[in-house]
Amino acid sequence: MSILKLENISKSFGAVQALDGVNLSLDAGEVLGLMGDNGAGKSTLVKIIAGNFKQSSGSISFENQNVEFLKPMDARNKGIEVVYQDLALCDNLTAASNIFLTREITKSFGFIPILNFSKMFQRAKDIFKELKSETLPEEEVRMMSGGQRQAVAIGRTKLSQAKVVLLDEPTAAISVRQVAEVLELIKQLKKQGVAVLIISHRMPDVFAVSDRIAVLRRGKLVANKKANESSPEEVTALITGAIESA
Amino acid sequence: MKKKVKIKVSNLHEIGLLIALISVLLIFGFSTENFFTQRNFMSILRSASYVGLVAFPMTFVLITREIDISVGPAVAWSGVFFVILVKWFEFNYTFAAFIVLAWGLFLGYFIGIARTKLMIPTFITTLALWSALRGYSLFITEGRPLAISNKPFRYFFGGDVLGLPTVTWIMLMVFFIFWFLSKYTVLGTNIYAVGGNPKAARSIGLNVDKIKIITLMITSMFSALVGILFVARVSSGNSTVGEGMEFDVIAAVVVGGTALGGAVGTMTGTLLGVLFIAMISNGLIHWGIDPDLNKVVKGIIIFLAVVINSNVTFKKNSGNKEE
Repeated sequence: MSILKLENISKSFGAVQALDGVNLSLDAGEVLGLMGDNGAGKSTLVKIIAGNFKQSSGSISFENQNVEFLKPMDARNKGIEVVYQDLALCDNLTAASNIFLTREITKSFGFIPILNFSKMFQRAKDIFKELKSETLPEEEVRMMSGGQRQAVAIGRTKLSQAKVVLLDEPTAAISVRQVAEVLELIKQLKKQGVAVLIISHRMPDVFAVSDRIAVLRRGKLVANKKANESSPEEVTALITGAIESA
Repeated sequence: MKKKVKIKVSNLHEIGLLIALISVLLIFGFSTENFFTQRNFMSILRSASYVGLVAFPMTFVLITREIDISVGPAVAWSGVFFVILVKWFEFNYTFAAFIVLAWGLFLGYFIGIARTKLMIPTFITTLALWSALRGYSLFITEGRPLAISNKPFRYFFGGDVLGLPTVTWIMLMVFFIFWFLSKYTVLGTNIYAVGGNPKAARSIGLNVDKIKIITLMITSMFSALVGILFVARVSSGNSTVGEGMEFDVIAAVVVGGTALGGAVGTMTGTLLGVLFIAMISNGLIHWGIDPDLNKVVKGIIIFLAVVINSNVTFKKNSGNKEE
């Protein structure tokens, strides 16, 4: 049963048709790799799912209910979280503060609500343990490696018990060793029944974790098939247009 | 789990500043006759307190990557406005103070709305206010002080309580509140988040505009408060007070370790910065240095502080840049 279903999604910016009748669905515990060249419409699609943009036409259903996201908070409240390419981390805050940003746990100090650091640190520690990451909750993010930073960003989605996690280029611009770390994080999410959508340019990474691959070309979905029935060569051909569709 | 011994960079800066503060104290103390006197310390504390009252909220403004340079004229106009209300309109003092503080909040709100809705940099809006508020204060008072006679008000708010200037007690209380806000509250964390990465803060649903507006409102309100306290001190609403005060405030905050680029800064650092600037100003007078040269020295200090800030201590600390 699909948890997220996009039907006939189109989006135009003035005269530019960014997305054209895209149908896509995502199951719980499934990892979908979304691929496509620059400008193919990947980011637009993600932003529509995340509530940054409203689609020009078409509908989104979440857990079999029609939903409309007017702002990112609407999507987050439903359980859809995005991990942006830049990870949206504040370098000057600790890992725990980043995870709890906008969702801080407070306790009352007299009649004043104050931050409950011990509770937030403990919860953050548990989250990192679940993700099998060695990130320290009380450490400032600017001191961290690419893999640890990714763990903090993904940690946010764990906090809200997100059902759908969108990862925008999770393995771009990090070292090989850290890529393995990030792929492991994705596998942990899948194991816990989270539906994951990865957007990436890096073919081997996508094939390493994805159950299914979807390809966008010039705003149109040209392929949507099981990863083990496809190949990097075929996907490359689909992206460039050497093969029309598959 | 690995355990690393770390000294936080912010602490390092504060320790350095504390050492500098003590050194300056000793240098002035041993090289002049009247520096180490109770009377002089009261004087240093008093001038530091007026600056401090605005410097703490200004720390938040700088952390969120904004600035307010209208402090001096805002202080002057608030004092003039306060006296106009009690003298010309015969309002009672409490009610007049309430209106002036509310006016301060409105001023900050205006700066904030200009910044977040009209995209006008706070530097420009407050530069315009810097000119307009001073000009209007001079115009309406014709450049003359408007005297007030209420003795209890003057003696209490302009005088001393329990061995310290009243304004110093107020400043210490305000310091504690801001220290607490910065360390233990959601608002404090949000302010640092906005400074650390505004784009990220916005994308995960933080109301960046609201936080910027709040910090600007608080700062202007404290400028208004200082304006009222100045009236108590000089027994009049005076359109020429607070000249160059924006410089002292911003210098104190920056010397205290807050980065002009935002994200980094502490209230303890600002407190030390405020004391440092006040002590230097005072000590140079005791050395018999011309007040005009005093300004040159302060200029050099703020420049050196920024150099140290951006190149040594906080190289890795300035965070990602947005806007």
